[in-house]
Amino acid sequence: MKPFVLSAPLIVNWTLSFRCNFACNHCYSRAEDASAELSTAQIKSIMDTLAARKVSFINFGGGEPLLCSDLFELAGYASGLGFKVSMNTNGWLLDETRAALAKNAGFETVGVSIDSHRAEVHDGFRNMPGSFERAVNAVRQLRSNGVRVTMSSVICRINADEFVSLVDMAESLGVEQIFLHNYKCAGMGMTNRDELDLSPPEWREFYIKAMNLKAARSGIRISMDDPITATIKGGDAESPLVKGSTCGKLSLNIRANGDVTPCGFIPVPIGNLLRDDFDSIWRGSDVLGKLRNKEPKAKCLQCKHYADCLGGCSARAYAATGDFESPDPHCWFEPV
Amino acid sequence: MIDRPLRNPAIIWREEDELRDAAMAMLERGEDASGEGVMILLCAGVMHQLNMLGAEIWKRCDGEHTVDAIAAGLAEVFDAEPDEIAADVREFVSDMQRRGWLAE
Repeated sequence: MKPFVLSAPLIVNWTLSFRCNFACNHCYSRAEDASAELSTAQIKSIMDTLAARKVSFINFGGGEPLLCSDLFELAGYASGLGFKVSMNTNGWLLDETRAALAKNAGFETVGVSIDSHRAEVHDGFRNMPGSFERAVNAVRQLRSNGVRVTMSSVICRINADEFVSLVDMAESLGVEQIFLHNYKCAGMGMTNRDELDLSPPEWREFYIKAMNLKAARSGIRISMDDPITATIKGGDAESPLVKGSTCGKLSLNIRANGDVTPCGFIPVPIGNLLRDDFDSIWRGSDVLGKLRNKEPKAKCLQCKHYADCLGGCSARAYAATGDFESPDPHCWFEPV
Repeated sequence: MIDRPLRNPAIIWREEDELRDAAMAMLERGEDASGEGVMILLCAGVMHQLNMLGAEIWKRCDGEHTVDAIAAGLAEVFDAEPDEIAADVREFVSDMQRRGWLAE
């Protein structure tokens, strides 16, 4: 069937607040202004706009969403409008009471960040002693309250060699799906890139192993969501309709002050939902137009995989070079 | 085959009104719209498109309609032979089951 631009994003990732109780080594948002936040009424009004555009899914991220006192009210409002609602949390504040509130608010899923099966490694990466134990407890509390749980793990030098143990742990905790997120060199991720990021050949090695594991496991879904995996033979069971990064094509990001960006890792505002018409942003943004119609540059010009990966992750390319169309810095291909 | 198919709740989906209107206009002109996507499904991070027949079947997979009831309803909507459309519905439901698009 023919390619087309969706009438609206299917998924909105929403940073309700940049405030956080952690100071993680890889965080993309720690340097952001944590003072500008929308009121509950303003957020609900934007949700009404998104519902009218038939956006399907809202994921609250951050910052730590559980620091927002109106989180459960907002989640309940969103689920009442028909959205599927999820959030990503570090789990520190997710005790029995809040797990029950999450269930009552209609959270479809809750993602808990755990980056290592070894407590000391996770706690060190998150700069928060005791955070592993609290995160594992959050998973258990959510499950016992009937909330579907996913796990988010940022793959980097601390865990790339041990990710199978991480998947084993997730499965043993009853997690439905584990997201093995690629390391983003944005914010603190850029500051600590040399220490934490893998080299391109190491990324290739990791993805081949992860895809083999994904094919072999039936008890847990393993997701990577990295466009660069399209370059690995047999990496996709089916050719996806949307190639390359999905930001600006399937998804959009809202920041704490109502600014809209293509994704959370691309800090380029393309409008503000207190001021601008949603359709004008979605259909008229030059930045989104460029992301939807990327042109190959540099080594991508000669690469046979470009049609499949479209240059890989636009956020990584932008963070490393200031140009969405530059080759993904994680790319291991050197066209001959 | 599942008798009363139910959509997998983990799948995000939406009918695209503009695309549906365009496909309807093609049908009204007597053109073949079977290659026109009118609905999008996002399954495990991969987007799929359904044509009008696929979309109408998908919308009726609510765990209440039987496969036969879906086929009978669509035969009326598309002014088609019931036996012919029943075969299409069964084939599509089997395909969705194989893909994991239906609830267990």
